[in-house]
Order: sequence, then C-alpha cells, then structure tokens
Amino acid sequence: MPLDTASTYGQTLLRTDGRRWNELRRISASISTQPSTDGSSQFVMGNTVVVCNIVGPREGRGQRDTNNALIETEVTVAPFAQTDRRRRTKGDKRVQELQTTISSAFQAHLFTHLYPRSSITISLHVLSLDGALLASCLNAASLALVDAGVPMPSILAAVTSGVITSTDGITPSDPILDLNNSEELELPFLSVGTVSGLSEHQEDKVSVLIMESRIQIGQNGKKLEAMLAVGVDGCKQVRTIMGEVVRTHGTRILRGRK
Amino acid sequence: MKSLKRNFKSDSQSNTISSKTFVRSTKSGKLQKVVSEIYLRSDIPCSSKLCPLCPSIAPADANGNVPKPILSSRPAGTKAFPAGHYLVPDTNAFMNGMDLFEDPGAFYDVIVLQTVLEELKNRSLPLYNRTLALTRSEEKRFYVFFNEFRLETYIRRNEGESINDRNDRAVVRAAKWYSEHLPRRKCPAVVVLTDDQANLQKAKAGGVTAYSLRDYVSCLENVDRLLDMISEARQGQEDRPQPGELIYPEYYSNSKILTGLKAGVLHQGIFHVSPYNYLEGTVQVAAFDRPLIIIGRESSNRAISGDSVVIEVLPKEQWKAPSSKIIEEETLNQNDNPEVEETEAVITEKERRALQEEVKKAHGAPTEARSQPTARVVGVMKRNWRQYVGTVDPGSTGSFASQGRKQQTVFLVPMDKRIPKIRIRTRQADELVGKRVVATIDSWDRDTRYPVGHYVRSLGDLETKGAETEALLLEYDVQYRPFPKTVLDCLPVEGHGWRVPASSSDPGWIGRKDLRGLLVCSIDPPGCQDIDDALHARPLPNGNYEVGVHIADVSHFVKPNNAMDEEATARGTTVYLVDKRIDMLPMLLGTDLCSLKPHIERYAFSTMWEITPDADIVSASFTKSVILSRDAFSYEQAQMRIDDRNASDDLTQSMRTLLSLSQKLREKRMEAGALNLSSPEVRIETDSETSDALTDVKTKASLATNSLVEEFMLLANTTVAKKIQSSFPQTALLRRHAAPPASNFADLNDQLKRMKGFELDVSSSKALADSLDKCVDLANPFLNTLIRIMATRCMTSAEYFCSGSHAEPEYRHYGLASEIYTHFTSPIRRYADLLVHRQLAYAIGYSGQGSEYVDEGLRNKSKLEGVCKNLNFRHRNAQMAGRASIEFYVGQALKARGETTPDSGINVEGYVIRVFENGAVVFVPRFGVEGLVRLDDFELKGAGEGRRESEFEIENYRLKVWEKGREDKAASVELFQKLNVRVSSEEKSGAREKGKRRVRIVVLAS
Repeated sequence: MPLDTASTYGQTLLRTDGRRWNELRRISASISTQPSTDGSSQFVMGNTVVVCNIVGPREGRGQRDTNNALIETEVTVAPFAQTDRRRRTKGDKRVQELQTTISSAFQAHLFTHLYPRSSITISLHVLSLDGALLASCLNAASLALVDAGVPMPSILAAVTSGVITSTDGITPSDPILDLNNSEELELPFLSVGTVSGLSEHQEDKVSVLIMESRIQIGQNGKKLEAMLAVGVDGCKQVRTIMGEVVRTHGTRILRGRK
Repeated sequence: MKSLKRNFKSDSQSNTISSKTFVRSTKSGKLQKVVSEIYLRSDIPCSSKLCPLCPSIAPADANGNVPKPILSSRPAGTKAFPAGHYLVPDTNAFMNGMDLFEDPGAFYDVIVLQTVLEELKNRSLPLYNRTLALTRSEEKRFYVFFNEFRLETYIRRNEGESINDRNDRAVVRAAKWYSEHLPRRKCPAVVVLTDDQANLQKAKAGGVTAYSLRDYVSCLENVDRLLDMISEARQGQEDRPQPGELIYPEYYSNSKILTGLKAGVLHQGIFHVSPYNYLEGTVQVAAFDRPLIIIGRESSNRAISGDSVVIEVLPKEQWKAPSSKIIEEETLNQNDNPEVEETEAVITEKERRALQEEVKKAHGAPTEARSQPTARVVGVMKRNWRQYVGTVDPGSTGSFASQGRKQQTVFLVPMDKRIPKIRIRTRQADELVGKRVVATIDSWDRDTRYPVGHYVRSLGDLETKGAETEALLLEYDVQYRPFPKTVLDCLPVEGHGWRVPASSSDPGWIGRKDLRGLLVCSIDPPGCQDIDDALHARPLPNGNYEVGVHIADVSHFVKPNNAMDEEATARGTTVYLVDKRIDMLPMLLGTDLCSLKPHIERYAFSTMWEITPDADIVSASFTKSVILSRDAFSYEQAQMRIDDRNASDDLTQSMRTLLSLSQKLREKRMEAGALNLSSPEVRIETDSETSDALTDVKTKASLATNSLVEEFMLLANTTVAKKIQSSFPQTALLRRHAAPPASNFADLNDQLKRMKGFELDVSSSKALADSLDKCVDLANPFLNTLIRIMATRCMTSAEYFCSGSHAEPEYRHYGLASEIYTHFTSPIRRYADLLVHRQLAYAIGYSGQGSEYVDEGLRNKSKLEGVCKNLNFRHRNAQMAGRASIEFYVGQALKARGETTPDSGINVEGYVIRVFENGAVVFVPRFGVEGLVRLDDFELKGAGEGRRESEFEIENYRLKVWEKGREDKAASVELFQKLNVRVSSEEKSGAREKGKRRVRIVVLAS
C-alpha cells in the first residue's frame, strides 16, 4: 500500500510521485504518426498514452446537416491499459459519455461550417492509462486535427486538476495539477479544456469542464476556484508544449520540401 | 509507429525520472503489475536549521508559504554524541519501539524517511497513523524526508535484490547523504536506529553510525523506564511466519463428522467464549458433566461465540487449567493491519506468547487436578451469526481525508467482547469513525485471521442516547419497530372508547362471572401503566378466607393466529429499558383496555381460593370474570395504608388479610426449601420533567407489600400449572428450573472453603438455602448477599417447556421449590402467560365469546416446543438488554456527575468476586455494576508511571501488585475482600471501551 497524498502532503509539500502541486507530468507528443490516415498523433502524458487517427473531412453518408460538418468520435480503451485487465464493451456508458463530450467539444471549436454535409471521424486508442483520460484524449485529438488540416481558431488543450482536502485543518488545501491514477482515486478532481483568446490580450476560454467528484463549494478555502485557476493555467502550459510539437513538425516538413 | 517503450537516453529529463514497478497478487490469485512514475528532484530540503543551502531551495505551497526548517540547530545528544544527533530510525525501530518515540522525555529531532513510512504503512496502519501524528506535532521535531524523490538519495532496486534489502540500503544511503550534506563544523551526528542485526551491520559497512534500539536507549537517562517500553516481540522479526502455512485447519467433511458423532468420538455443542479471555472458550456437551475448554485461535478454528460446533477432545498432554489471566483482543492486537492479507499469520506473535505463558503456568501448577480436558473445533454445524453492533477502529482507517471514492478495509470492533474484529470494506471510513455501526459477518475463510463482513447501517454518534439504545436493542435482538398496520387492524374498533358491555345479555358476558362487587385492588411499582394483576380477600362465614387473583384477560383481545398474535409470539416479552419500554402488545391494549385500571370495569381471568387462616388451601376455582378495581396502589402506598392504624375500611382490612396470609405462605415455601437468591438490582431515577437528567442511582428497596403480591402470584401460577397439566398432559406450557449440577458450585465452594471456611451443601435446594443462611460474616454483613449473588450465577436458568418434553419429576422448579410451575400472571408483558390463559380457558371449558377460535397450536407439541425455545431466547435477551441499559445509565449518571464536579469519581465500597493473574473483578453494590480492575488501576502509595508487576497465588486467590522495583510498597487483594474503590466514568482510547463508556474502577490505597 503506497502512501497517500492527503496524509503526507502537509509535511513535505510533495505528491506521491515526487511532483509539486503545480507541476505537470512529462508530456511528449508527435504528429503524423500514421501516414495512412488523414491526420494522426500520439500523445503521452506520464504513463498515459493515447493514439489518435482522423478520417475526414469527407462526404458524410446520410448526413443531414447542410451547413456544418459533423464530428464523430470513437474511443477504445485497450484492455491492457490499466493495472487490472478489463475489456470494455462498445456500450460502456462511461466510454459513450466520453465520446459525446469529445464530439461536442470539437463540434463547437472547429470551423465546421467550411465543410457542409461532411463528417470528421476522430478515433482514439488509449494504449495505457494512468489518469487524465479525457484530457489526454482531447489533446491527442487536437493535435491529430491539426495534422489533418481542419481549420480551428486555436489549439484546444486540456488538463486535470484536483485539490488536496484536509479534514484536520493543518494540511493546507492545495490545488494540484495533472493527477495520476492513484491521485484520481483519492482526491476530488475536474477535467478542464481551454482555447486561447482571439488576441494576445484576451483571456483563455474554457470549452470543456467536467467534474464527477463531490466537493464543498463556497467554503473559505475556495477550493473549486483554486482548482479551476490551476487547471486553466495548466492548459496554457500544455498548449505551449503542443504548439511546440506542431511547429517542430512543420519546420521539418518545410525543410523536406526544399 | 513508434515503440511504446520509452527511450530514456533520448530524453533530456531522463536523469530525473524513474519508475517504480512492483508486482502484487490479488486475492483471487491474479498477478498485477503496478507501474508508477517517480519524479526525482533536488529541491527537497533537509530541513535542518544548520543548513545554509536548503532554505534557498525550499518549495512553497499554493499560497506561497514556505515551511520552516524543523530539525533544531542544537539537537539533544547523549554521552556518545556530545554535539547532538539527528536520529534516522528504520522500520523495525518504529515497529518495536513506537512507545519510545512518543515518550516526551527523549527522541527529538527525528528524520522519518519516506522508505520507512511506506514500509510501516504496509506493516501496520495503526503504527503508521501514530507516526504521522508525531510528525504533525511541533514539539517533537519529527521531519518527514522524502528520500525516494531526492535525486541523490534515490536508489534503484538491483537485479535479484529483495525489497527489504533495497529499503535497508535506501535508509543507509539517506543517512549518509544527511551526514555529508550538513556543514562539517559542529555538525550533529546522524544516527541510524534499527532493531535488525543485519541492518546494523549494513549500516556500519556503509560508513554510517548505527545503533540498535536497546543499545541506544541504554545511554539515555531514565533507562529502566524506557527499556520497558520496547516491544516484547522484538525478536519477532526473525521468525516472522511465512505465508502459506498460516491458515486455519480445514473442517472435517460432513460424513466424517456424522460418523464421528455417532461413534461418540466427536461431540456437538454450543461454543461460548469467556468474557475475560477472548482466546478461551468452552463447549458444554451432553457426554460430559463439565464443559470442555477450547484454547487459542487455532483450536477454536473460526467458531464465533454462539455457533453450534463439533469438537474433538485433545490428547491428555494438551489438557490445561482454565486461564487465570485477562486477555483482551484490544490490547493484544491493536496494531493489526486490515488491508494486508497475504503475509498475515493466523495467530499473531503476541497471542502466541500470551498462550505460551499460560502453558507454562499450567505445567508448573502443583496439582494436576487443575488441568482440564481441552478440545478443538473440527466443524461447525450451524453458524449463529447475526448483526453485530460496534465501532470502526480509528487506527485501522487509512488516510485522514479521503473524499474520493477509494474503498478501504477497516476493522469493526463489536461491542460484544467475545466477537472477534470484523473486517469490512467501506468507501466512507472517515464518516464511520465515531459512530455506532451495524455490520454482519459474511464469511470466514481458512486464510483470513478475522472474519469478513459488510457494513449494514450506521446508528448515529457514539454515546448519544438514541444510538446507544438502538445499539442495545439490536445487540439483544429486540424487535423495536412500531407495530405494522396489520397488527393494529386487529385492535378493537372502538379504540380507547371500548367498554365492558352494559347489558349482561351481551355475548361478551357469556361464561363470565360478575365479580364487580368484590373489593379488588392492584399493587404495583409506582408509575406502572400496564397493570396485569389485582387481588381481593374477604372472610367466609366458615372462618376461612376467599382470596382472588384477577389477571387481565388479554386472550379476549388477542385471538390466536392473527397478525397481532404472531407479532406477540415473535416479540415474546415486553422489554424494559431505563427510559423506554418496548411493548409486546400495542399500547391500546397494554396500558388501557387490558390494564386493570381502577374505577373502571375490565375483563379479567380470576383464580380464587378458599384459604384457612393458617394459609392452607382448601379449594381453588378459575373463571373468566368482570371486575371493578377499587384502587391502584404503589408498593409504598399500600404499605402506608396497611400500617395506618386509623384506616379500618373494608379494602384496608382485606389488604391486611392478604398480607398476613402471604407471610404464612412465604414461610411454608421457605420451609419447603425455596431459595432466597439475590441479584444486583438498582433502579435509575430519572427526573420526570426532563427525562434526560438522571438524578440518582438507587438500590431497589424491598417492602413487605412486594412479597405480598409476589406470594399470591406464585400461588396462582402454581395452581394454574396443575390445572393445565391435568387437561393437557402432553402440551401444557410450564416453566421449570433444573437443579444445578453440583459441579457448577465446585469453584465457588472451593473459594468459600479456602477463604472463609464456609461450605455450601448443594444436595437439595433446602440444603442449599440453609447453608447459604449460614454464610454470615459479622464483620462483613454484605458478604451473605454477595455469596447469594455468586450462587445465583452458578445455577442454570429457568426455562419454559412443553410438558410432553420432560418426565414429570423434571417439572420441578428448583429455585421456588415447587413441583410444578408456570407463568400466568403477566399476560400483557409475557407471551407465555397469554398461551397459558388460552390453555386454562380451554381447561375450564370456557364457552363464551372468543372460544370459537380454537388454537390448534395448543395441542401441537412440536409447534409449542418451537414457541418455548423462542420465548426462552427472548426472555433471556430482554433481561440482558435491561441490565445493559442500566449499566449504560449508571455510566451516564457518573459522567454527568463528573461534568459538574471535575475531579470526578465516587469512593464507595467494592467486593472482589474474581481474581486473575493480571487483574481482578470488583463488584460495586452501590451501583450494581462489576468491573475489571487492571494492574494499572491499583492505586499504590507513592507509585509513579512505572510498569506494574504482580504475583498471583492461585491457591489463596490472592493477587499482589507492585510497581517494578518497589516490591516493598505492594498492594494485595484477595477474593471476597472488601475494598475502597473509586468509581468514575472515563473515556478510554480503545475502540471497544470508547462506546460503552465503561465504568472505571480504581482500587484505592488502603
């Protein structure tokens, strides 16, 4: 039984994997990993690995919307992704909800009006899962959509944030960024995704926000506010990393053209 | 596609990231590989005030607060370390010396390594929690150093290296880093404390100063006191049992058990656990007179108190004397870890040790006669598991703030000490701590030390009246839910407006005698609402008296086999708690329609005798009737009325007649050998205004009028018993009290003979009554009562039975010295009486209203036997619940007193009723409670905090207690001794004690 955050954080200000409250896990990403698709990416955040393939935009069969492209999402979590081997069926309600969340996030974010009567399919494969399922999926999809060349106002970046709740009154109630699996089991957390403002001076806009745990609102600690602030800030960091990935890839392609 | 395997070399961060991988096996036997990342860093401070570097790199929390360094710049030292030292204990040190670390006199400036903390958590959650509490307290200066995350102190596990070795290496590395990191000049030493020889050598080889706990403590002041605090099981490390061999023996197969039982090799009986020693149980089997003893967890083999088990007698070498020591699970196994299952032994080291001592005792005992046959459980016929009420052991819960959904395993400690801890899984552990919780046992597999159960519901906060009362009712299986609608539908439609029909031509009057003209009155305890019985007496022309006992005619209202009858059968009896009554019948009947209230006509079932002035019975008759009670007296009122010389009205005269007759009846009964037994009874007086505040605890007073009512009730019961037995030779519901086997009295007799020179003659109840009368010590008038109380406990308990199931000589009621007996006089509160009413109505050929309902069950022997069994069970539980309720209220009264006067505790007299090797049981008559007095609860003159030692003279039932090293100032107690004790109610830290607010008894220095 490993240590838990709540009982030792107060003394050490360290989380169970050695990070501080505001540190992200190591993130690495690459795009165009699968040349046979329209767009693809691989996103690694700590021990969470997500691969994304995009098909489209292409003619949507039976697609009724004459003004926009429709975003469809398929998420498969590999049976070996977590500690205990578990096969998730197609009808898994959590996975279905995940798919809907991702679809609607990109439906609103992408310039879908440029592709009327067509569809874009995002297919996500979670190869290894150590927390931040939704956030990693959103990030991977974002990168893959960039690779597919679907126009968008900015890169959608997502991250999880949680809060260390203390009942003894001594441990500080610190918000923490980017929880791993054991932290997600222990602490209340939310997933937040943002897009950057239109100009440099505008603030980022929250486009996805999901919280499934219980937390007290409006206490003197302002836990929820702190979590959100840390999350939005974390999204910025993630976006910088993702932008870097896109730029490196772009540079390489341009160099190849010459 | 890229390989998933991370390429460490290509990554710029590669030297600061590592991963921890381990494999664990689940309960079902699957293997799981757990991989987690580790981010190595160089900004973890050493937290010493001496360090010039670390403050600059110390991290801040989200609010920008930087924690202050903890370890002092001038740490305490010993002779060996004049410049002071920082201590780095390893896991064993914490395991064996936790009390040392908590001691306020020593052990400051301690570095708790992450490696150690993690290992500690795996080994013992309670110890882990205690360590964490230490790190939170400011004055002890314990610093948690996350060595696994610091770049310099992190080490990788080598190929083929065991995890223990790796952890030992990590401790040495961390200690080394500390000593190199701190500035050279006037540097305090860094000392590794360990309790493991191998580790000690490793540390020394690694160039680190290392001491064993014992060696280190011996260079401190207060050596003796501190050395005592090192855990006894310090060698436990080497012979930690291996997993695999640690399972309970398997039960015999069904066929083997059956053949064994048939052949008489195996025996069947109910398993009872001793309330003083949870490792010892007894099973009474048909084949032997005295119960067989079952000692130890392995022998009791997963049986829980109350189970019906099959046992096998052990060979003679393993026979032992029953334990003379108090062993409580709480104190022995408080550091068990609920989560870890794989590496756990069935018998803990400490338990094994406690048993070893017992064996030595038994072998050393001079008289071999003391050793008794022992047995082991080889099968369980029927589990008698029920729902258990208890508290969650706060030490077994994990994190302090788990708002998440993480499931964890915790121990539920049942209120009943004889039940082992129950392992339950819960997601709401922190909410359950401090609550009364109901749980059930699901299973007890061979490979788990404790049974596995699940949470049922929470009753509320500990010590609140509601929760405690409900806990009590649940614990004694009392059905306390409101009556369902189907039951209430059986009540008369008129409700409170029901009256005896006015015209005597009404069907209700058929078969009923009009006794309204008799001067009937009732005598009951004050405030009694459910009046069962009323009496009258009047002179007859021939000089004899007519005496009548009129019992509420409940059978008129409760028809056989309807919903109300079934509910009453299930409840069996009304349960009286201090502040609450749980009725057998709905209020409307119990306190109004059936109750023989004064000045109102009521249906009754009357028994009438013609009695000579010398109290000889001439004749008896029974009839259903209508009576009009003239008055309802309390015992005191009746006594006053009788004593009042001016009162000469007919009612008073008849009461005087009754009193004089009852005294003669009583004499005759005593002549016949009825026992005058005693049980500790106290009454709790509640302030009627605010039923909350308890005014006082009083011992029950006994007046002549008490025995007036009692005598006639006994007479009625006996008369009725004869009548129904003649009509229902096979199926009369009777009550018997078997003569106790002489062996039951053996212990008490031996004690009396040795201590006081008395002897009890148990050949007959008459002989016993006489010999009890002789046990008088003029210097100690209470002794007689005390002996009576103890004698009562040696008896069997009276029971209901169906006349066909015993031979006629066995109908005898031993205590009352009556040939035949039943219960007839309290049908409102006992179901047995109601059945007897029905039988009697049938026996006298009652043909009025209601006789058309024939209860076939009255003639069905097997059904009646079932009813008897349930009634006996309910009856016993109701008694125990009542007693427990009084105990709780006595505690509350003491608590209330303690709150008003801070220096609480009342000095009263107490009597020693049992002596153990490490304590005694003291009975306090003033409060009717008895309690365990442990060695620490002996007040010794001028004694300090030192460990208590004791000497037990088993022959003389004497216990001598002294503080270690001060044998001259010893106190000694012996059986039956009168003591001055201080009774107070104290909150104890233990999970069991906490809830019950045990009354603590301290023996004062004489």
